[in-house]
Parts: sequence; structure tokens; C-alpha cells
Amino acid sequence: MQFEVLATCHTTKARVARMILPHGATMLPTFMPVATQAAIKGLTSQQMESLGISLILNNTYHLNLRPGIQVLKEAGGAHKFQGWDHNLLTDSGGFQLVSLSKFTKITEEGALFASPFTGEPTMLTPEESISIQHAIGADIIMQLDDVVSSLTTGPRVEEAMERSVRWLDRCIAYHVREGRQHTQNLFAIVQGGLDARLRGACLEEMIKRKDQVAGYAIGGLSGGEEKDVFWRVIKQCTEKLPEDRPRYSMGVGFAEDLLVCVALGVDMADCVFPTRTARFGVALTRKGALNLRLHKHAKDLNPIDHECPCPTCSDGVSRAILHHQTTRETAAAHAVTLHNLTFQAQVMGGARDAIINGTFPLYLKSFFADYFGDKGYPAWCVNALRSVGVDLLEDNPNAKVVTGRGVWWEYASAS
Amino acid sequence: MSHTKHTSSLRFRLHDRASETTKIFSPRLGAASLHRPGSADIEVQTPGILTSTVRGLVPHLARDTMRATQAIRWVNVPFESFLEHTPPILTLQNGPHPLHRILGFLPERHIVSMVLRDPSDDREMPPNGKDFVSANCIRGMTVSDWRNHAITCEPDVILALSDIPFTAGGLSQKRLTKSIERSAAWLADILKPVDMDDISATRPRLNVLVHMAGGSVLAARKEFAYSLLETPLDGEEASAIRPYKILDDGVSGYAFDLVPLHKAFSDPPSLDSVPLSKVSVRRTAMELSPAFNIPTPEATAKLVPLLRASLEILPPTKLRIAHSAGSPHEMLYLVRDVGIDIFDAHWAQRAADIGIALDFTFPAPITVDKNGRDIGHNMYDARYAHDFSQFADSFAEQTSEDSLAPSSRCSCLACSPMPPPSALRHSTIDEPVPTRQMKPNTRAYLHHLLHTHEMGANVLLAAHNLSVLDAFFAGIRSVLSSRPDDFAREVERFAHVYDGELKIFMLARKAWADVELARGKGRLAREKEKQAQGTLGTAVELD
Repeated sequence: MQFEVLATCHTTKARVARMILPHGATMLPTFMPVATQAAIKGLTSQQMESLGISLILNNTYHLNLRPGIQVLKEAGGAHKFQGWDHNLLTDSGGFQLVSLSKFTKITEEGALFASPFTGEPTMLTPEESISIQHAIGADIIMQLDDVVSSLTTGPRVEEAMERSVRWLDRCIAYHVREGRQHTQNLFAIVQGGLDARLRGACLEEMIKRKDQVAGYAIGGLSGGEEKDVFWRVIKQCTEKLPEDRPRYSMGVGFAEDLLVCVALGVDMADCVFPTRTARFGVALTRKGALNLRLHKHAKDLNPIDHECPCPTCSDGVSRAILHHQTTRETAAAHAVTLHNLTFQAQVMGGARDAIINGTFPLYLKSFFADYFGDKGYPAWCVNALRSVGVDLLEDNPNAKVVTGRGVWWEYASAS
Repeated sequence: MSHTKHTSSLRFRLHDRASETTKIFSPRLGAASLHRPGSADIEVQTPGILTSTVRGLVPHLARDTMRATQAIRWVNVPFESFLEHTPPILTLQNGPHPLHRILGFLPERHIVSMVLRDPSDDREMPPNGKDFVSANCIRGMTVSDWRNHAITCEPDVILALSDIPFTAGGLSQKRLTKSIERSAAWLADILKPVDMDDISATRPRLNVLVHMAGGSVLAARKEFAYSLLETPLDGEEASAIRPYKILDDGVSGYAFDLVPLHKAFSDPPSLDSVPLSKVSVRRTAMELSPAFNIPTPEATAKLVPLLRASLEILPPTKLRIAHSAGSPHEMLYLVRDVGIDIFDAHWAQRAADIGIALDFTFPAPITVDKNGRDIGHNMYDARYAHDFSQFADSFAEQTSEDSLAPSSRCSCLACSPMPPPSALRHSTIDEPVPTRQMKPNTRAYLHHLLHTHEMGANVLLAAHNLSVLDAFFAGIRSVLSSRPDDFAREVERFAHVYDGELKIFMLARKAWADVELARGKGRLAREKEKQAQGTLGTAVELD
């Protein structure tokens, strides 16, 4: 991997970088769409390319079940299997083991779980996870970590953090032994729950291994924790992590979360949210989310967003016709998915330009004003951005501020 | 250039001698073309296909993938789902080519026809009224509204309303007579010239196709055809259609709905016809697809005299369209024995819903290890899990003694992917890197997508199956053009080489139902709802 920071924000911790991987360059900060089963739901690889997206994610747990490693090896790796000639990242499979299987038991050796096929006890060790990811062949691979819910408290959090460090060593050792360190880039995952002391300890250990780690992910968040705690953990990590390594915040996909993370110094994020919500007929815009199923769109011949360059909006697909088709026809889900992925890419691309042009604080203010407008700024966003020198309320001291998640969903409002 | 409404005209010309009255039911070569002032004509070579739509779109294809599918030239849009809103949203679009515009079809590439009811839907409907047709909606459609919608939406082609009862049981002579009278009166209504805002403008006409009524009764079908040629006795009707003297003068072509005829001639499928498996799977397969429209050769043979009865006294120079043919075999028989010009692609599109990748050609390959081979692959089958070949291999096979197939690869977006014409850039420093080498999608990948219930599987299959069917018709035209005397022999050979019962459909439906069941009850409920609402497409994955 070549990683070069091209510009940094004069006020916040945001930065623009070029990351060159075996399948080309990806400009950071970026959002990574999730192709869980080796496909972005409903879209072809050519459609993804047309959206200007150059880095997507596959899930190791799922690909290991189907199509299985043997098929991927025969295909020559996951890129060839899915016809994707751009960059690819795989997770370690650990998160799904914990989130999808009630019977997973973590031991020092690895994660013990019941095989979904046979019910047989099956062990996923750090070495096995890396071995599977080698067969998949992604440009970026993740260490197996010991994942606990972000709401967990007590000694289990410390145990998981320390084990994640030991498993990182095993992943590195296996990766090096297999001679893959120059073709696939191994990322560490910082754990430690919501506890600043544990996060600090984890950061310290993992940074010691910097020479054998291509980048760092921040794990163990986006699990329902308080947002005011979330951003503080992100900030603690980005402040410590080395400047010359990409930083990846896992499971982050709401626009406001993405921009706060970027302002705190995060380079990459992934989430199923924009593709999943599209299937329910929810389109993302700079003015908030639109639920196309609501009756108020039934006669609206405007596109989702006149300014949006996505194939759906630029072709003038009306809200009315999407209302007619959405959640009923798969092709309507495709149309909204194309839009939502473009929206995510535009938010991040706009951030890159603003950072380069020295206007990122203005970009944040303008985005948040449009997005939350009179609905009220989430207090946690105001707090987080103040911590890096941007006051969203500066020009608008009487603006409404709301506590909690603060997300405004059109489908939550009657219409 | 200002757009003048209702100035496009649908033309049909036959290339050869088939217009001789002695050969009115011969296979024929021709072209349907839509002429729009100021742009190049859109041509559909015949015999050829049109594409079915559901809720205004080609199932599984968004606008970009739809346009990347060259086989889509003529689309047929059932109007009934749009009756959910008053006024129907299709009537709200302003500007030139409103129907094309709101649905994303291209005026320079696509012919769009509009029909009230989905012609493949055979569910029972409440009885029609004197000037009222029931549709799959709370509301039906009055004859005058249908005309107004056609004038507002500007489809290139409109199907006149017809009184084809969709109720159980046989029809009485009285009901048949009424059906014929109503259908003729409704046709007369839509043939009336269009009043334009500009009083000096000539009053244009719509391009009208008529459903050939009469059900499965020969005499009734003849009677309806005859009513098209009669000078109207009703003075009001006569003056309304002037300067036409008879209804047929204003008709661009004749349409046949095969589903009610198939239904009349086939035994309903029983659970026993579904391959052995868990009862729940078999029941699911049946429940999810109640309309089972694969005719036996005997059923198709029974259609031929009925279709001929409709056509025998009518001018042979007009376009003949058949909706919902059930197999390539039936299509060939109807080309050979009736001289049908255009078929909708319904069965091939349905195959895409249930995981079948079509793989057949006309003429059939000459080196065949066994006869009765399948017209496609049930891509759920475990045999494809490790198969990295492209979807169809028959494109590379030899199809006649002296020629190899002109192209060894299907031209669809799955088998011949093309780099996107452009890629978005989201910041000034973005450096889009095009794909280095475009490779065909593989069977192994498709197999994986089907088993993981990824919508992308149906996208690839929808584009592929339309392309295979389009190539099949190109093959038909090629034989009719270069060696017409061999055509009947090639049809027989095709029928031997390929299984005409489409047993592969049964296997794929069972595999498909297996995966649906495995996804749980919520998923299944949505799929059932979907199947009850439309006859093509699959439900959207919401979990």
C-alpha cells in the first residue's frame, strides 16, 4: 500500500489522502459500500464503477459459507468471482460470529461456534480467518478481534481488548509466514469498549506493531452506545493513531456520523445503511431522508434531488414513479440504491474538496444547516465538532439543539 | 423544434410474397416501424419480440440496465396498476412524449404500447359493463377514460379495450355475442380522431391494435373479425370514425391473448406435477405461481384454427401480435402455422424470476448428443457451483452444415459486459480507473447469487434471457430469409432437440421455492403478495 496525506484541514483533524492498493487508487476520506455476499444488492460491477466508487467491502463470514473458499480459489479470488476490478476490503468474520450466532464461545485459541451447515462445533482462529481472507484476496484484510458489544461493561471488555492484541500478533505472524504482506494489507482493530483507559492501552500496544500493520480500524463502536461517548472514543483513537496510516471507523454510515468522524481524523467508514434503507424506499438527500412510500410523493414529478449527479436523479426519475414502484419492484430498489450510494460518495467527495480548499469548517456548517435545519442540531455533533474547533452554532446562536440521536427520519413522521 | 402530439405512426411492411392471399398463414418476414417526425424510425424486425413490463418497468432492470439491453425495443405497459391513484400518475407528466418520459423509455429507441390489463394475468375479474372494463384494481376503466388517457399519455400504440370475460366457466352464446358487440363499439370509440387545441390542425389518429375477441369458439372469432369489416349500421358510429368506412381501416394490427385460450385447453397443474420434495415446498411452488402457462403441443395445435379463424377474412398485410406464448416451441408453431409477427417475451422474463438462464438457438445446433435437451439451465443446481463458463454455450455451437454461429457469445450485459460510458467523480482529485478486462459473468457466480437471494441474479438473468430470445428470433428471420423452404424442417428439428414441456421450469421453481422458504415467513408472505399483484418480477428483499 502507498498512503500519502495530500492535505489537512487548518482547523479540524480532517485530512485528504491517496491510498494506492493493488487494484488502484482510492481517495480518502471515503465511504465503503457493503457487498456482503459478493454483490452490492441488485447492482452490477459496471454500475458500481459508473458511480465512481473504487472500494467496497465483502463479508468474510458470509463468503466462507457461500460460495465457500474452494469456489473462490477456483475463481482466482473474490475480485474475479464478482467481476470487480477495483479495491476490496474484507472483515475478519468475527463480528458476524458474535452477532449472528448465539452459541459462539470465545476461547484463547479462537471463536468456537456451531457450523450453520452441520451444527458441528467449528473453530475460527486468527490464523484461519487470515487464511480465508487470503483465499478471498481482498486488497485490505482485517485482523480477527475479540468483539464485545459496545454496551458490555466489566472485566470482559479488558479481556477482549487484551486478547485482540494477542490475536493481532497471531494474524501478523500468519500473514507474514504466508508471504502476503506485499499483496494484501492487514489492518489492526483497536478495541477497549467505551473505557478510555482500555482504549489507551490497546492503542499503545497496537501502535507498537505499526511496522507490520498497514492501517488501523476503530472497532467495538456503533453498537447502540451514547453518541456523546462514541465521538469521544473516536477522537481518542484518531489523536493517538499514527499520521501515516489510514484510519477506518467500522459500521458508520449516517451522513452526520461520517462528517463528524472525518473532522476527527477518520479516513474510511462502511455501513449497510444506505443500501438497506434504499430497499425500503428511503432516499438520502442533503435536506434529510425522504421516505418515497409516503403518500405525499405520489404525484410529485420532481426527482429525489435536482442537484444529484446519480443515474436516477440525472435521468429525472420522479418521486411519483418511485412511489409507485418502491418496495414492489426490485428495479426501484436498484434506482434508490444508485442514488443513496452516490449521495454517500458526494458527501465524502465534497469533504475532500473542502479540506483541500481550506473550506472544510464551512462545509460542515453548511451541510449540518441543510441536513438538520430547523429540526435541530444533535447536541453530540455540536460537541464533537467544537472539540476540533468548529462551532456549528457560531453564526446561528439561536439554533435549536436536540439531545440524543437526533436523526430525523421522514418515515417516523406522519404525513 | 416544437413537438406536435399524436404525429407518430406505426407502420408495418412485409418483405416478401407472403402477402399473397393464398399464403395468408405462412411464416413471414417484415418490419414494424414507428415513424416520428424529425427522428429516425424505430424498427422491430419481424418475427420479433416485445418486452413485458410491470408497474411501468421491465422487471429487474433499472433505467441504465434496461437501456444497456439492446433486445428491448418495444415495451408493453399495462395501465392497471396506475389506477391506484386518481388521476393516474402517468397522466400527470407534461412535455413531449410524456409516457416515455415518466417511465424512462427513450423516444429515439423505444416503442411504447399501452394496454389496460396485464395480458399474462388470468385471474378472475368481476364482469365488465356496457362501457366499463374491470381491471386488477379497485377501479375499472370506462371506455371514455381509456381514450382520454391514451390522448394524454401519448403511447406510440394503444390497445383498444375489449370485452374478454375473465370469469370461470364456459361462456353462453348470448355472452359471446355481447362480448363481440361491445369490443367493436369500444374499438370505434378509440378510433375517433383526436381533437387538437389548434382548431386548424388536422385531427390525428391513434395507432390502435385490437384484441381479437371470440374466445375459444370458432364462429364467434369469425364473427368478431367480420364486425371489423362491416360498415357500421349505427349512423353515429359510422360518422364518428369517418373518414374510415369500416373499423378495420383504422386498425394497425391484431393482438391475440393466449393465456385465456391456454387456460381453456389445459388441465390445471396438480401438485403431483411438482417434483417430489417436502410438501411445504411443493405447495409453496404452486401458490407462488398460480398462472402456469406452458402449453402442451396439443394445446398449441388447438390454438391454430382459432387464430386463423380471426385472421382469415382480414387483410394479411397487418401486424399480428401474440401475448404470453408459453415456450419457444409455441412461438415457432405460431410463426409457422399462423404467421404471427411479434410475441411478448413473457415466458423468458418469467424464467429470469426463477433462476433459469436460457441457452438455446434457432436453428438448433446440429451436433447434439441427445434430443430433448433443456432450453436453459436451472442455475440453482449444484452442478453449477464450480462452473466458471458463461451462461449460454449454444452461441458457440454449429447450427447448420455450412456455418458457425456468427457470434460465440451472448451480447447481453451479463455475458458481454461493457465498461460504463462514464464514471462519476466526487472530488477534483478523483482518479477513476477503468476495469482492465471485462469478463463474462459466470455460472458459478450466478449460482451463488441465487442461493444467497441476491437481486443481482435476476438482473443478469433478465438481461440475458431477453437477449437469448432476441437472438432466437434473429435466427428465425435468418432462416426465413436465406432458406425459407427449410423453415418448417428446422422447426421440427428444434422441437426434437429441445424439450418443449420446459421441465426445467418445474425444477427451477422448486429450487426457487426452497430458497424462498429458507428465508422465512415474512419473506414468503411478501413473495406471495407480489405474485398476487403482478405476474412478473420477484419481491424486494427487505431484511
